Amino acid sequence: MINLEKQSKTKQMTLVQAVNDALRVALESDANVLLLGEDIGRNGGVFRATDGLQEAFGEDRVIDTPLSESGIVGTGVGLAISGSKPIVEMQFMGFIYPAFEQIMTHVTRIRMRSMGTYSVPIVIRAPYGAGIRAPEIHSDSVEAFFTHMPGIKVVCPSSPADAKGLLLASLADPDPVLFMESLRLYRGEREEVPVEGYEIEIGKGKKVLEGNDVTLLAWGAMVPIIKKAASTVAKEGISCDVIDLRTLFPLDRDMIAESVQKTGKAVIVHEAHSTGGLGNDLVTLINDTSFLYMKAPVERVTGFDVPPPLGSLEDHFLPTESRVIAAIKRVIQF
Amino acid sequence: MIEVKLHDIGEGMSEGEILHYFIKVGDTVKMDQPLVEVQTDKVAAELSAPKAGIVKEILAEPGETVKVGTTLVIIEEEGSNSLQSKKPVQIDRGKEKVLETGGKAQVATVAMEDRTHLRRVLASPYTRKIARENEINIEEVVGTGPNGRVLDQDLYAILEGTKQPSRQKKTEKLMPELRSSSYFSEPKVEVRTIPFIGRRKQIAVKMTESVYTIPHVTHFEEAELTSLIDLKNLSKKDGVSFSLSAYFIKTLVIALKEHPIFNSTLDEKNEVIRLHDDYHIGLATNTPDGLIVPVLKHADQKSILQIDEEMKKLTRRAQNNELKGEDLRGGTFTISNVGPLGSTGATPIINAPQTALLAIHKTKRRPVVTKDDQIAIGEVMTMSMSFDHRIADGAQAVAFTNRWVEMLEDPKRLIMELV
Repeated sequence: MINLEKQSKTKQMTLVQAVNDALRVALESDANVLLLGEDIGRNGGVFRATDGLQEAFGEDRVIDTPLSESGIVGTGVGLAISGSKPIVEMQFMGFIYPAFEQIMTHVTRIRMRSMGTYSVPIVIRAPYGAGIRAPEIHSDSVEAFFTHMPGIKVVCPSSPADAKGLLLASLADPDPVLFMESLRLYRGEREEVPVEGYEIEIGKGKKVLEGNDVTLLAWGAMVPIIKKAASTVAKEGISCDVIDLRTLFPLDRDMIAESVQKTGKAVIVHEAHSTGGLGNDLVTLINDTSFLYMKAPVERVTGFDVPPPLGSLEDHFLPTESRVIAAIKRVIQF
Repeated sequence: MIEVKLHDIGEGMSEGEILHYFIKVGDTVKMDQPLVEVQTDKVAAELSAPKAGIVKEILAEPGETVKVGTTLVIIEEEGSNSLQSKKPVQIDRGKEKVLETGGKAQVATVAMEDRTHLRRVLASPYTRKIARENEINIEEVVGTGPNGRVLDQDLYAILEGTKQPSRQKKTEKLMPELRSSSYFSEPKVEVRTIPFIGRRKQIAVKMTESVYTIPHVTHFEEAELTSLIDLKNLSKKDGVSFSLSAYFIKTLVIALKEHPIFNSTLDEKNEVIRLHDDYHIGLATNTPDGLIVPVLKHADQKSILQIDEEMKKLTRRAQNNELKGEDLRGGTFTISNVGPLGSTGATPIINAPQTALLAIHKTKRRPVVTKDDQIAIGEVMTMSMSFDHRIADGAQAVAFTNRWVEMLEDPKRLIMELV
């Protein structure tokens, strides 16, 4: 694995460019890597994540598939257990439901079922989330369906550099990984991304800001929101320990516990629905690891229990900076 | 272990004040033996032991107002002890501490502690951790946070020795900042205080509600009772003794039957005035603890002598604080006889939700003009009637009292009614 800190050559990239770059590195470095998905070849993907890759690596490695999510993932399973390293693209996370059966009954279970003889080294890329005014089913954030089922790791980067490193690490993982890419962050910001390949360890969170008064936890598209909220409340003297979880399963229990034991207070932010959301597991994790350190009940700021609505109503569905600040104040003033 | 809880003694009561306990910790009690006397909205009630056993704990202090459902007394059943008992609630709490701390020294202190002082306190888990690590019994700490929550700084204050753990009364807890200010440390004039609780408080609540809700109108009237007193004296010679009050009630019921609007209650919620077929007359009664209104039921079905007897019984029970909830419910009209105490006029407050209240004042010897225009000495009684002007009007009220006065002034008219 190449050390990220020692990378000298970098390039400005958006998150979607970093994904494209990671895929390019993967295809270059390992002949077993294959890409499968709808319109990913000639068209370069609905979000241009695979732009130029078929041209560079050929139709045998970057494969346009029929409109059949179940078929795509099912094919991926067969390829994976016979030695290939497929990276499949769901155009939107909301389109993953036809493939749900393949994921739940085969992707997550073959290692267990074969008592370790076979594993499924597949990466399922799924653009997710609201905030770009996409039609309703294009905006789902249903990570909790997948974190609930053991056997698949769930990764969700919030920055271009993380996206590249985590995608390459996901590919290197011998087991299946659901790789969530925020639609909202695809072109949200640019940052310097190392040109060479590198990996960021799966299962480790990232401390975005160091603070003492309250722990803020989020992932993907909500990370910029909590960073903004933290810098706003900092002006009032509230210092936030801000954590980007990066991997949703398995969670970085140590980092979360260490932080909440320091601050005694926590606010969890996710855009997925409240009921059955991953935030609930985080509350449980805090309860299990840090109950005696808590000075206030843990707050959650989440999407509401409705499908992501159309148009500008999305702005009311998604957690906003002001909702996060209100939650921070509630725990601070408890 | 049996927990004796404050239950709903009356209709929908929510809290009661502990008056006193008949027992103390360690006493052996029999089944149904009275344990505690509780003042509810209306009556002082006794709670008795549901089973025989030994009193282990008394959890609320006399003077305290507790909510329905609060455990007041814990009785250990005979033939069991706390170690064998199936539900050793407090012991469990001790065990919990043992498991979590694992500290042997603390185990000993927790287990040996006098559990009668344990109570539930509000505190965050972190505050509890500080208390545990510093061996402070958090149940003993008075919190200064919202709703009396124990805060970290309350514990730090104890550790620094600037505060003693104590179980002070609520009144002292309310204003922690003010207590330490110079205003309170200045020499102050001693005042005697009477606790504004129990029946006094209930009377206050009820009167305030009545007077702020009901547009009261009071009209005054007088009745010349010479003939009635003659009748009373005459019957006494024949060995029949009735009180004037009994006669008042008997005639009042007749007047009420003719003017049923005054034997009604207003049900605002359902927007109806309920005219009652029962004539349950409330008797405003002065007691050492304050005003209470026992109800003489079915006055219309009773003779003057029966009314007399029952009235005396109710009054006596009121004086001895022996009234039951049943004795106080269902009144349709209230009469307040302040005559024996003096007073010739008042503006009484209606016993809501009833429509009217009649106060009877002192009967005095006064010059009166007779039928044949002579001036004579008469026994004149004054009365004040307050009524709810939402329900009835002045003309109705005057017609009602006129009818009553007729029967008071000329007892023969009552006979006509009884025929």
